Amino acid sequence: MDKSLFHIFRNTPLGRETLLQSIYFCKTVGAYPMIYIPTTTKFLMYFENDVVQVDLDDTYLTSPQTARTHAAQLVEQAGIKPVFFTPKHYTASTLPDIPTHFDFMCCPRSISDLSNKIGLGYIGPRVRRVVQAAPFPVLIPSPAFKEWKSITVFFGGSANAVNALRLGINLGRATGMDLNVFTQVGRRKVDYYEKVIADSGLEKDVQRYVKNWQRFESGKFRENLYEVPHDALVVLGAFGHGLIRDFIFGSKMEMIQSTVTNSMLIVGPNYVARL
Amino acid sequence: MKLTIPEIARCLALPESTVNRWIRQGRMPVKRVDNTCYFSQAALERWARERNLPYCPPNTDQQTCGQPPPEDLERAMKRGGIHYHVQASDVESALRAAADLVPELSDNQRDELFQSLLARERLASTGIGRGVAIPHPRTPATAYAEPARITTCFLEDPIDFNAVDDEPVFVLFVLLSPSVKQHLHLLSRLAFCVRDDTFVDFLKSTPGPADFFLKITEFEKRLISAGY
Amino acid sequence: MRHIKPWLAVKRWTLFRIDDRLLLIVIAVIVGNFSGLASVVLNRSIETMVEWLTPLRANWWAFLLPGAGAAASSLFLDKIMREGAGHGVPEVIYAVSRHGGLLRFRSSFSRLISSCLTIGSGGSAGPEAPVVISGAAIGSTIARKFALNDRQRVTLVGCGAAAGISSIFNAPIAGMVFAVEVILGEWKALNIIPVAIASVAGTEISRLLQGNQIAFTHRTFNIHFVDILASIGLAVAAAGSAVLLTRMLRFMAKLCSHSAGPTWLRAAAGGCAVGLIAVALPDVLGEGYAPTRIMINGAFTTGLAFVSITLLAKISATALTLGWGGSGGIFAPCLAIGSLLGLSFQRALVLAWPAAGLANEGCFALLGMAGLISGMLQAPLTGIFLIVEITGGYDVILPLIIVSVISTTMCHYFEPASYYLHELVERGQLLRPGTDARVLSDMSVMEVIEKDCIAVPPDMRLREFTQIISISHRNYFPVEDPATGRFLGMIYLDDIRPYLFDPVMYDAVVMGEIMNTDIETVRPDDDLTDVLNKMDRKKLFSMPVVNNQRFLGMISKATLLDRYRRELAVQTS
Repeated sequence: MDKSLFHIFRNTPLGRETLLQSIYFCKTVGAYPMIYIPTTTKFLMYFENDVVQVDLDDTYLTSPQTARTHAAQLVEQAGIKPVFFTPKHYTASTLPDIPTHFDFMCCPRSISDLSNKIGLGYIGPRVRRVVQAAPFPVLIPSPAFKEWKSITVFFGGSANAVNALRLGINLGRATGMDLNVFTQVGRRKVDYYEKVIADSGLEKDVQRYVKNWQRFESGKFRENLYEVPHDALVVLGAFGHGLIRDFIFGSKMEMIQSTVTNSMLIVGPNYVARL
Repeated sequence: MKLTIPEIARCLALPESTVNRWIRQGRMPVKRVDNTCYFSQAALERWARERNLPYCPPNTDQQTCGQPPPEDLERAMKRGGIHYHVQASDVESALRAAADLVPELSDNQRDELFQSLLARERLASTGIGRGVAIPHPRTPATAYAEPARITTCFLEDPIDFNAVDDEPVFVLFVLLSPSVKQHLHLLSRLAFCVRDDTFVDFLKSTPGPADFFLKITEFEKRLISAGY
Repeated sequence: MRHIKPWLAVKRWTLFRIDDRLLLIVIAVIVGNFSGLASVVLNRSIETMVEWLTPLRANWWAFLLPGAGAAASSLFLDKIMREGAGHGVPEVIYAVSRHGGLLRFRSSFSRLISSCLTIGSGGSAGPEAPVVISGAAIGSTIARKFALNDRQRVTLVGCGAAAGISSIFNAPIAGMVFAVEVILGEWKALNIIPVAIASVAGTEISRLLQGNQIAFTHRTFNIHFVDILASIGLAVAAAGSAVLLTRMLRFMAKLCSHSAGPTWLRAAAGGCAVGLIAVALPDVLGEGYAPTRIMINGAFTTGLAFVSITLLAKISATALTLGWGGSGGIFAPCLAIGSLLGLSFQRALVLAWPAAGLANEGCFALLGMAGLISGMLQAPLTGIFLIVEITGGYDVILPLIIVSVISTTMCHYFEPASYYLHELVERGQLLRPGTDARVLSDMSVMEVIEKDCIAVPPDMRLREFTQIISISHRNYFPVEDPATGRFLGMIYLDDIRPYLFDPVMYDAVVMGEIMNTDIETVRPDDDLTDVLNKMDRKKLFSMPVVNNQRFLGMISKATLLDRYRRELAVQTS
């Protein structure tokens, strides 16, 4: 229980779903939720080499008088003592600084645009920035609360994917759930992926914890995504490359997040393994 | 030179978070790209020295760098050596003989050691009973006592040592240690062994070096399990 | 693509590992150029906007113009840029003190546009603070792109600020001094060299684009001893005006925050009020360089009473513009107010002692400017160098120094913190390098924690506990629930020492009975300043660190002092 998940509470039914998802995540992996009930729509997150201003959409400020009780109720139902976060420092009087030492953070697909835009295939620009800069993995919950029973790691051989795999193994160990690895074998051979794993010293752990390594040598990636169990937490690395490449070639992550409705745990390029 | 942050933190004996912050703030001559740190060892060493920070180069045994590891009996005894049939008629001659048997000392140091042992003996007997004495200098920590040594002397004939139980002493463990801490450490370990009847009986049989060290190793294991 | 990629990752270039100082100088030139460019752009846009709006000034509804401008700037900042109002310099200093100079990219242009709207439409505010912020944000952004460390980033923030000021006033020394004195607060070669380079770069850019013009043309003044005496009086008056302006600004801001309506409407109200003042006294409009220029030339013809009224009007107009939510700085208004003050002072003296033989009013206008700047910013060096440079005159240096230092000292009595720092000092966030507060704020609880405490279960008996004591290095033992790991209380060796050697107690006492449950604890994200205050208040030497009912370790004054010294040694050398 010494790991923390930062959750920004939105006092709406949608926010309730995401909080439930956060609570479930916490209970499963043994963390505790740190809940922030925003009082202004803006806040700053100072990362190691970046500062991100997050502009929440107005629904985050819905009926502030009931927000705290609502959040506390949900957390207490799960048998956890609610911990609320109050910002200590302010960059300007309406601009609280949010520290970034959490172990996880929960972001719905969008936090700055209106929530009616939230759907598959759309991740808000602020959430992207957070993922880019964050030293912690970001939990993007499915729009409606759903328990997950296994973990699926997308492994494409990049450095970020190795981090994602490492995180997946740690989660698998912590939760005791089945851990599956999903690899779309592209131009490279299967040995390549095995070599990457061996180089990163994960060989033993993979043998021990990974239940099933699905390697797809044929078929389109998008079609193979159907094989991801509907009740799995998807762990994947993201944003290993720049904006331009994303724009031209698209990225695996985009495809995954626009196809799979599961809750996702995204490991950004600045992720530092702390588990 | 390339290292990761935890490795540097170990070199400097600092928390990782501090090293991480200092690098981020640019207070250390270390450049970080992703999770690897690049630096020149000489520059980092100078930097640490100027600020009175402990620094031991990477890949050296961390134990030997800062704090010496607690000595164990076996090593100290091997260094000190075992001597049989030591001739002595009284406390003074026994100490003289023992001081002469301690290895790696000059003649002056032997004299000094003898005087010091004698002074300690006058203060109170080091005969701890059951025929065992552990003579040691009045002030344990002296320059020539580095590294710690225990010289074992089996006396030809037991002598009266004014021991606590007035039993004649048949074996001397001359204990030299560079610090009070090590002195107490070795002393307590030795005392633990002597408290055991089987050990004393074993000693009385005047065992050969091989058997002796085997026994010591066995007792050291017991010491560890007893939480010493 | 694969071959280009490594080159795009700037932070990986081996070039950058060669020599830090050289690298910093090169980047300082880049920052200086961009920042200088930003200030030229702002300067030009304000000029253009004023030109556009001049024909409209004749209309009866011209007083609405400043209101519309202020409203537009407020809307722009709030809705489009989503930044707070205010001049923003405290934000820069805050970022420098606490976050290693991390500033948002949007700050590098947001204030330029908003202040252009405010000032161009006639609001009484200065373009300097916006230039400082955008310069600083440019520096910060470039530092980020190059993945520099905090120290270098802070220096580049200073570089940006320096280049901005240098460029807008065509005054490299003033820019340098301002950056070091106000923004960085650390006089070290490591800072000063890149800042100086950036100042030169910024000035050069502005000279290339706008020509080497000095803001206020140089005239020679004959300074006599009597002028130096008079300057003491002027310093007192300048300090008075500076305090008045500060108080007015704060009062207006308070009034504004208590009034209803959206922020842009309040800004509009403030702007319109300025517009109304300007109907009678058009000199209060804008940043006020033009009237200042006239005053230095000694060509300001209106009488003493009129000048004094203009002085008060300008103070009110500035307070109305900035206090009610317009965007801009106080630098330029300070110059205008200072020159008005100098003028009134000189005229009043001449009226009282016509035979005193004082220097002409232009000279006093200069001195007044220096006095006000030094008083407002409480940065005497910035005031002195700025005036020397923007007037190109060195003859007034003696009274200039006197006015600056006396005004700074006087203001310090009434306002312990300058206009830029007031907000930060009030929040306890002014953390200058090498100070106690800075050292403590940099360190975190988790860095000084002692983790080698041995936890005991509540049902352990004293007999077993004595074993634990013999192997522990510490005098405190946390009691934890073995099942849940919850922290229950602490056992202090001092409390139980008398009973340790009493075998009767060995089986009679269980840890759960003798632990202290009513104890002060620390959370891992607490500030060390607060932790130390708590320790001092409760006369404690150590406290347990507890997070979410879990014991993490102890924090003690002894370790803290050790780490504090180490930190100080690392930070100040």
